Amino acid sequence: MPGGKSKGTSQRNAWVLHIALVALSFLFLFPLLWMISTALKVEAETMRQPPTWIPTDFQWVNFAKAFTYGRAELGYIPFLIYGRNTLILCALTVAGAVLSNAIVAYAFARMRWPGRDLFFAITLATMMVPFPVTMVPVYGLFRSLGWIGTFRPLWVPAWFGSAFSIFLLRQFFRTLPFELSEAARIDGCSEWQIFRQIILPLSKPALAVVALFTFMGTWNDFLQPLIYLQYQHTFTLSVGLQAFQTQHGGTQWSMLMAAATMVVAPVIAIFFFAQKQFIQGIAVTGLKG
Amino acid sequence: MKARKTEAWTAVLFASPWIIGFSVFLLYPLLASIYYSFCDYSVLRSPVWIGLANYRDLIKDEVFWKTLWNTGLYAMMALPLGVLVAFALALMLNAKIRGLTIYRTIFFLPSLVPQVALSVLWLWIFNGEYGILNNALGFLHFGGIPIMGHHFLAFQFHGPNWLGDPSWSKPALVLLSAWGVGNAMVIYLAGLQDVPQSLYEAADLDGAGWWAKTRNITIPMLSPVILFNLIMGIIGTLQVFAVPYVMSPSGSPARSIYFYTMYIFDNAFMYQKMGYACAMGWIMFVIILLLTLGAIKLSDRHVHYENS
Amino acid sequence: MRFKDLTLPLVFIVCIVVAWYSELLTRPPKPDGPVHVSYWEKWTGFEGSAMRAVVDAFNASQADVHVDLLTVSNIERKTLFAISGGNPPDIAGLFGPNLAEYVDDNALRPLDSYCRQYSIQRSQYVPIFYDIGTYDGHVYSLPSTPACTALHYNKQMFRAAGLNAEHPPQTIEELDEAAAKITTRKPDGSIDHAGFLPADPGWWAWSWGYLFGGRLWDGKSRITANSPENVRAFAWIQSYSDRYGSKELSKFESGLGQFSSPQNPFLSNKVAMELQGVWMYNFIHQYSPQLEKPVLNWAAVPFPHPANRPDLANLTIADEDILVIPRGAQHPDAAFKFIAFVQSQKGMEMLCMGQKKESPLLSVTPAFYKQHPNPFIHLFADMPKSKNVISAPKIGIWPEYQDELKNAYDLIERKERTAQQALDYVQARMQPKWDQYLERLKSRRETARAEGALAKNHALSGAGQ
Repeated sequence: MPGGKSKGTSQRNAWVLHIALVALSFLFLFPLLWMISTALKVEAETMRQPPTWIPTDFQWVNFAKAFTYGRAELGYIPFLIYGRNTLILCALTVAGAVLSNAIVAYAFARMRWPGRDLFFAITLATMMVPFPVTMVPVYGLFRSLGWIGTFRPLWVPAWFGSAFSIFLLRQFFRTLPFELSEAARIDGCSEWQIFRQIILPLSKPALAVVALFTFMGTWNDFLQPLIYLQYQHTFTLSVGLQAFQTQHGGTQWSMLMAAATMVVAPVIAIFFFAQKQFIQGIAVTGLKG
Repeated sequence: MKARKTEAWTAVLFASPWIIGFSVFLLYPLLASIYYSFCDYSVLRSPVWIGLANYRDLIKDEVFWKTLWNTGLYAMMALPLGVLVAFALALMLNAKIRGLTIYRTIFFLPSLVPQVALSVLWLWIFNGEYGILNNALGFLHFGGIPIMGHHFLAFQFHGPNWLGDPSWSKPALVLLSAWGVGNAMVIYLAGLQDVPQSLYEAADLDGAGWWAKTRNITIPMLSPVILFNLIMGIIGTLQVFAVPYVMSPSGSPARSIYFYTMYIFDNAFMYQKMGYACAMGWIMFVIILLLTLGAIKLSDRHVHYENS
Repeated sequence: MRFKDLTLPLVFIVCIVVAWYSELLTRPPKPDGPVHVSYWEKWTGFEGSAMRAVVDAFNASQADVHVDLLTVSNIERKTLFAISGGNPPDIAGLFGPNLAEYVDDNALRPLDSYCRQYSIQRSQYVPIFYDIGTYDGHVYSLPSTPACTALHYNKQMFRAAGLNAEHPPQTIEELDEAAAKITTRKPDGSIDHAGFLPADPGWWAWSWGYLFGGRLWDGKSRITANSPENVRAFAWIQSYSDRYGSKELSKFESGLGQFSSPQNPFLSNKVAMELQGVWMYNFIHQYSPQLEKPVLNWAAVPFPHPANRPDLANLTIADEDILVIPRGAQHPDAAFKFIAFVQSQKGMEMLCMGQKKESPLLSVTPAFYKQHPNPFIHLFADMPKSKNVISAPKIGIWPEYQDELKNAYDLIERKERTAQQALDYVQARMQPKWDQYLERLKSRRETARAEGALAKNHALSGAGQ
């Protein structure tokens, strides 16, 4: 049918698409819905056969209980504390990653210095280094610094750049017109001023992407906190959640799911509101190599 | 000339966080782990040089091969599935319809859930007896056509005992990995928004159908993004750890979901054999490097860059 | 200056404040007054509360030392990390089988001199519970709570199968017979009730060989994973896969509930006989009223022995939670003061009553037995005194050995290997590893010895010799 489609077909296509998307949505939501449904059940109902989707008796109190879970036993309130610890780490890593990667990427993208391109190529190659390779020596390094058991191993490295974020930002900085910098230089601006007053304000979408990726990385990280944190009151949510599971030999499923729901909810909210910027940010950084 | 020099020094100053970070958190550990891989070493002992012993032991270590095999098999299933699902979702979400924001969030959701929470959840969903998955599959039955007291073609679908059966535990994990394609999907989506509309309009004029447009415009235009995701996928899937570790730390049943990184972890932190773990880490690095170079080489012919 | 330029400095200030706050959070509290001893313990729940009560009692009993109890998950790894990080707790509550690898890595402080100082002697203990804490002729740990195992059986299910509930099986053969009678199936052939299930709870996959007189190593250089006794034991385990059908068995097992829940197969009358420990009473009491009322419907008896090995009667697996002082602990003297309090009859009975276990001490007050809620406490108190008491081997590669045995168990249960094949494999894997371990341990010790008499003297004075 040359000359484009009639309005009818495209509307029909939209309907087909919607139906497909809704069906897929259920598939993707299914674990989450199950989580919320379990979080609202009485413990006895969580194991009922056949499983029930809608709790017979909504236990909103589970959420409150998850906060104070364990308090009666050993005088700690893990969940709130885990949440606080995770937020602290997220704040520190996000700030560090955004600032350090931006400034490093700027040097790679918009300044001339000997060895720049070679170093950039090496930087890209380091993305292929699996964490387990460096895990053991890095542990030894933090140990000799006396940092085991503190939060430092989990956030300090973020202030020293990461290959992926540098790559992302460099690609973006290179898309900004170089005339801007030239004009500023003629006006007598220093490199720092150009970076701070011209480039950074134009780079919000790309910085947002770095921020979000870093946030999610820290939020979800399991292996590093597992290795570096020692005390119950320093655990992060993902380590804490695992402790929920193994503490009693048996799992209080409704408690665990209530806790998990609360872990997930804030991230979902952030993504929901930030996603447009996020996707655009990736689009403009042009991850096309 | 002098200005050049000043610029270079300023640039090095700007790049200094990464120069330090790179040296301290990458270069040093890399060199150190090469050294440790030739040592008998654990957290409580200082390294003692033992030459190639770790590597020699690895070659003879059947569990090493087993985990390598498991990981390779898993990657071979999970990678293509991931690319396919992420790409398909991105294509669908690139349409101009209402409610996109919500759909995008929904498909991205599982990537936002901490993997530990997700694993615990899946552990239960996949339970052979009580699991909601088999429960749902159980509805797939057919009473059959009653002819002379027999029910022909009758069947009742019995879901497998997913994580309790060595032949189903890996597929279960692969299936599960498809829920985590959100990151890749978003990157595809971003790439799709960059494809010039004019190309599609031109194709429309030629009367090209949906498939023709996807095949001749979208895929070539997106090939660099596909390559990028593929490389990230190789790196990610070969390091699969958190989900199987939470589900079954020993990789049971019958070590069917005992993966490479789990064995590194056990050697380093459970069996006090850090040197051995470093040797394993290095072998993994070489494998990833070779695969990535291979992917780039192979893609040379197929990846289309706008500028070249 | 425009307002905007302040963002960056502000971000920095906020980060510094947050980082500083995070430092405060991770710093262990150090108030004045008594010496603060940090104590890491794995238990939560009522076992944790029992420990806390003892700690409180100790803290109230004197003013010099204050013990801070902290619950730590994955304690055996975390403690190791902490020792290597140079910041260990003063006391760690580990598991008995951790001892060997810890000592081999020189991670624990020997307690001999403290024991002399506080007159703590082997003669005060049920021997096995003292011996678990010794290694290479030194004391490295003392018990917190002990435990031992016995056959737990469900009398209701015995009666329903037409068996005499007052005559539990005494030999393995009788156990098999009873199990066959009790096992029932659904119309589709799947298992409804099982007489005996070796895999539940599956915590002692390593121990079955001992029931048939086997050992896992000779105490020195030889691994004996595939000794005839061990093979016989695994073949016996596999006979249950034959009897039930390995597919049916694995389906039945995957449907079993969590251990600590009313769905636990023993507590929900799904499995009639199990190898379980002294703690099982707690779960019966909590989750399974039908086993206690109107009459006591369960009992614990010594686990059966093979008919041709009457010498193996009264075999029990003894295990204990141990208290150790890690190397590099800040306050070892104060730490031992607390450990000694736990070893006193008063402290120990308080703890064991709280955790509802038997006491590891030989001298027990009559009140302890009188008040103990477990109706079979006398059995559990006597079993560890049997000559056939066993405990996990003190072998430095135990974590790996145990994983290997678990895997072998998995394979024979699924009938992917015969008992002989599976254990030959374990043997072939573990013997070279053990050889290598011993060789490296030896050369490390030699190096350490060569590294100067000064350091050596220092270490020995620490060892209390």
